[in-house]
Amino acid sequence: MALLSRKTKRKAAPYLMVLPALLLLAVFIYGVGSGIIQSFGIMTYLDRTEFTLEYYEQALTRTDLMDSVMFSLYFSLVSSVLAAIGGVALSFLMTQARSSRFIRLLGIQVPITTMHAVVALAVICLFTGAGLFPRLLHILGIAPDATWFPSVVGAPSGWGIIVVYLWKEIPFVAFTTLTIMRNISTSYGEAASTLGANGWRTFFEITLPLCRGAILRAFLVVFAFAFGSYEIPFLLEPTSPKALPVLAYIEFQDPDIINRCYAMALNGIMAGICTVLCVIYYVVLQREKKQIR
Amino acid sequence: MSSSLSQNTSRPELLARKRRLRRRQAFTRTLIGIELALVLVPLGIIVLWALTNAWPWPNLLPQDLSLRGVEQVFSGRQNMGASMLLLSIGIALACAVITTAVAALACRALCLYRWHGRNAFQFAALLPFIIPSTVFAMGVQVVFLQVGLARTVPGVILAHCIVALPYAMIIMTDITSAAGTQREEAAKTLGAGPLQMIWHITIPQLLPGIISSLSMCYIMSFSQYFLTLLVGGGKVQTFVLVLFPYLSGGDRTIACAYSTVFLLITFAVFFIFELLLRRFGVREEESLYG
Repeated sequence: MALLSRKTKRKAAPYLMVLPALLLLAVFIYGVGSGIIQSFGIMTYLDRTEFTLEYYEQALTRTDLMDSVMFSLYFSLVSSVLAAIGGVALSFLMTQARSSRFIRLLGIQVPITTMHAVVALAVICLFTGAGLFPRLLHILGIAPDATWFPSVVGAPSGWGIIVVYLWKEIPFVAFTTLTIMRNISTSYGEAASTLGANGWRTFFEITLPLCRGAILRAFLVVFAFAFGSYEIPFLLEPTSPKALPVLAYIEFQDPDIINRCYAMALNGIMAGICTVLCVIYYVVLQREKKQIR
Repeated sequence: MSSSLSQNTSRPELLARKRRLRRRQAFTRTLIGIELALVLVPLGIIVLWALTNAWPWPNLLPQDLSLRGVEQVFSGRQNMGASMLLLSIGIALACAVITTAVAALACRALCLYRWHGRNAFQFAALLPFIIPSTVFAMGVQVVFLQVGLARTVPGVILAHCIVALPYAMIIMTDITSAAGTQREEAAKTLGAGPLQMIWHITIPQLLPGIISSLSMCYIMSFSQYFLTLLVGGGKVQTFVLVLFPYLSGGDRTIACAYSTVFLLITFAVFFIFELLLRRFGVREEESLYG
């Protein structure tokens, strides 16, 4: 009898352990879901219960919306691809140089700790028309006056947004790959170099394949973050096109509460794009696992 | 390794190889130096601007240092008092502790047990990573209003915990699977009770991950703007909510002063966690952190 109860206890243990996390995730899914339901025109707190695709239709036929989708996709893709490359490079450099803990703290932990919006402020201080970078150019005799340099705020190419994300996310990608890389360099790296492989070959044929999963995951996180966050585009973007989250929040705040359905349709599109990317990621990962077997 | 190689390589060749290695070291060091400069210069500029009254074109260095910005931050105007600071820190600490505990438990189940729905859970745990927090914030606002969690501190903490959970889970998964169960089983065979085992084996084993996760969640919560704005409804005023309007315009000295205080607080907390990490004797080789 006692044995049986211990067995059931052992069986129940993992379910009990995930229960708190499951509750948090349930709130998340419920929150997102209730938003998506509103995007179909169903707002129970206003007694509207009729299902309609009208808001998606309207949202998808709006010209400014397509521009927003493209703009958001553009800056988040560029910044996440560059962050992945830069992060791997940084992590590789730090492994090669056997950087001390202090250097790693400064180069990796400090940027991770700093808030995004504060980085945006620093970029504004540096790169507005009268910012410090144009001043440097002025002293070098390149910029004649304070209006010569095109300000980073509202630049149509959104390069300021990309710079902020790179400053934050390159160290983040490095953070997620550094431990693996250091382990590889101590275990496989020595074997490879004893066998005569040079640094580059070791990197491309051993380190990179072993880190691929971590890099892909970090890339996805960085992309989804850049794609879905409000603060940085709000501070640095041009008046049009606006990033998707900013556009959604404008509609959300509209005094006419029906406009919320628009906002939620935009959110639905945003969540949809992120989910599609994630599914692609899983398919790629599964296929790779099969290939290894 | 090099001694075994040197037997069949001539001396000049060895010297050349050494020189090449040294040159490559110098090159990597230079690149890392550039990266450090790129990290530190923008932060330095913010601190400098916080202490500057006016910085007219085209001077590269400020002309007129003053404490105007810092004074305004601590003047207690604009909801900017000690109570607001304490509230922000309290929310962030609560979020860090709750999320880390939840993640530690879940990761234990994920790494050390087999159970139904494990894969599904693993996928679901990544959802807050994939679906943007802005989508969650706008969706959950009505739900929280209905159940009375909107505009309350517990509501804000709950929302922060959800967003921080996947970060904590990634940190805890790595360390939980690395730690394994060997030492715990050894302790059990030696007659340790479950509480003894948790206190003497499990927690010390996971400590680097726990501290790292606490620090990550704290920072996530402390710098969460959009979610706090929507769930807190402007009633729960944290530091970021006060800081943010200054960023988008107006007086740059004030904006930089607020940012400097913000940076100091986050770095101070980070430093404390870092000291804790050392205090508990986490040796470099074993550290999964950083």
